[in-house]
Amino acid sequence: MVLRLLKQAWPVLGLLLPLAVIVLLADQFGSISVERSVTEALIKIVTVVGLYIFIGNSGVVSFGHVSFMAIAAYATAWQTCCSALKPITMSGLPDFLRSHTYPVLPAGISAAILASIAAFVFGLILMRLSGIAASISTLAALFILNVVYSNWDKVTMGTASIVGLPTYVTPWLAFAVAGLAMVIAYLFQISSWGLALRATREDEVAARASGISVYWMRLAAFTLSGLVMGMAGVLHAHFLGTISVDTFFLSLTFITLTMLVVGGMRSLSGAVLGVVVISFVTDILRRMESGVSVSGQEIAIPAGSQEVVLAVVMLLVLIFRRDGLTKGREFAWPFARRQSISETKHGDA
Amino acid sequence: MLAQDGGLHARDVHVAFGGLKALKGVDLKLRQGEVLGLIGPNGAGKTTMVNVLTGFQAATTGDVTLDGRSLKGLGPRNVARAGVARSFQAARLFRDLTVRQNLEVAAIGSGRKRKEARAKADALLDWIGCADKAAMLAGSLPYGDERRVGIARALALSPKFVLLDEPASGMNDQECDELMLLIAGIPDKFACGVLLIEHNMQVVMGACRRVHVLDNGKSLAEGTPAEMRANDEVRRAYLGSKNTGSQVI
Repeated sequence: MVLRLLKQAWPVLGLLLPLAVIVLLADQFGSISVERSVTEALIKIVTVVGLYIFIGNSGVVSFGHVSFMAIAAYATAWQTCCSALKPITMSGLPDFLRSHTYPVLPAGISAAILASIAAFVFGLILMRLSGIAASISTLAALFILNVVYSNWDKVTMGTASIVGLPTYVTPWLAFAVAGLAMVIAYLFQISSWGLALRATREDEVAARASGISVYWMRLAAFTLSGLVMGMAGVLHAHFLGTISVDTFFLSLTFITLTMLVVGGMRSLSGAVLGVVVISFVTDILRRMESGVSVSGQEIAIPAGSQEVVLAVVMLLVLIFRRDGLTKGREFAWPFARRQSISETKHGDA
Repeated sequence: MLAQDGGLHARDVHVAFGGLKALKGVDLKLRQGEVLGLIGPNGAGKTTMVNVLTGFQAATTGDVTLDGRSLKGLGPRNVARAGVARSFQAARLFRDLTVRQNLEVAAIGSGRKRKEARAKADALLDWIGCADKAAMLAGSLPYGDERRVGIARALALSPKFVLLDEPASGMNDQECDELMLLIAGIPDKFACGVLLIEHNMQVVMGACRRVHVLDNGKSLAEGTPAEMRANDEVRRAYLGSKNTGSQVI
């Protein structure tokens, strides 16, 4: 019985255990900068798992998801930040936000919920489209939100940064939220809605003929992924202690999509592995760009190498392993006698 | 009146794609518990007719009723949920899902709970003899199995009527014979009427007691396979000549 449960939970546990080891090592032995890198990577895991819930299961690429991070980040900032300055710098806020400060936990939860409500409202319209038209319109949504938040001076301080958010995000907290995001993603994936959505990904026409509503299944996933993106936005805001609207724009969109594609966008393992691999590579390169000392000599690679190497990694994956490093499979239960790969796919155990 | 109107009934269906008239008045009645063959030469409008019956194609004029209730304006999804399921010419399985999941999806689509859906899927896999392949990815199935799984997926909706679009195409003789028996058994086993669109006459003659012939978008004739075989008009439509018909039909 215990073994069966363990087996069923393996696609999540098998990811969480190695991550826990990494966090433990970073927490015990790592320098501050290593600890920060690990925390950043964990927040990225929440982000990419959020993307995966929609993109991986529906097969529709969305470029607009980081907007929901922005919505949650601003929402939590309004509730928790700078009580003295708020009435002046963000005078357009409604009174319950302008003159009150709320505890971080309810603020974070309500901010994530707001992001999922926003995703639902956007989804009502966007999910009417399919294929490339849907993807393009999500990009439009990204731009619309960026423009609104950049110019809504009295509420968002325009393009200026909001500083002074409480920074309570530790590696362990980020780990816990990443675990929660993975559990949400996995439960959705093995639910009947998740199954129905994956069927629409495989063949929309046949899914309709099987009584599945493509629209509602996609909308459900879009809303749920909005919630997880919101969780990532809250973590991001309270990790850095500062937010500005341009952090939630094209470069974050494309780095997170790269992570998803490199790992393999059809599986949760792929989403997580992609973040780990890309974060590791970029972190090493970033350190080398700023110079490392090798036997007394300061060596630095040219600035910008990071982007070039990432582009090369992405291209190599697209050329040689189009389904990503995991090929869209979940990590298999390691103690079974030889089992067909498909048996463990998407938790059909 | 209503009592007589059970079944899936198409009345005077016309479909025009711009200037091209694909269907020019088809009357077709599929009764509960029978296997009706729908045959006709290429381009006769068979697949268009299936699309009309399953909500994929709106009729330009004419109406389709299920047990007396009009299906007008219901999309494919709602027609499927109302009880008219279909298979596709190119099986269109969900390739990256397992075989069992393929059937589960349809059972879920018909409103079943997960557990029931799974039981339904397993029962159907048993029936088509693919129980041992339940955990395989549908994309890795051999051709013949793919077709049978496509039929089983349609039946997983627990439909009142199932429309099979050329299920035997590309099968060898032995596979055809097995398929014929399977299809002939559907009405009794699933309390479900079957419309069989098929080019392979061996399968049609073996599985159907009644055959409906379409030609050039119109209903040409209907009757037993033997009657159709003897019908001059049918032969002419099929072959464009009345002399060589007996070889094929």
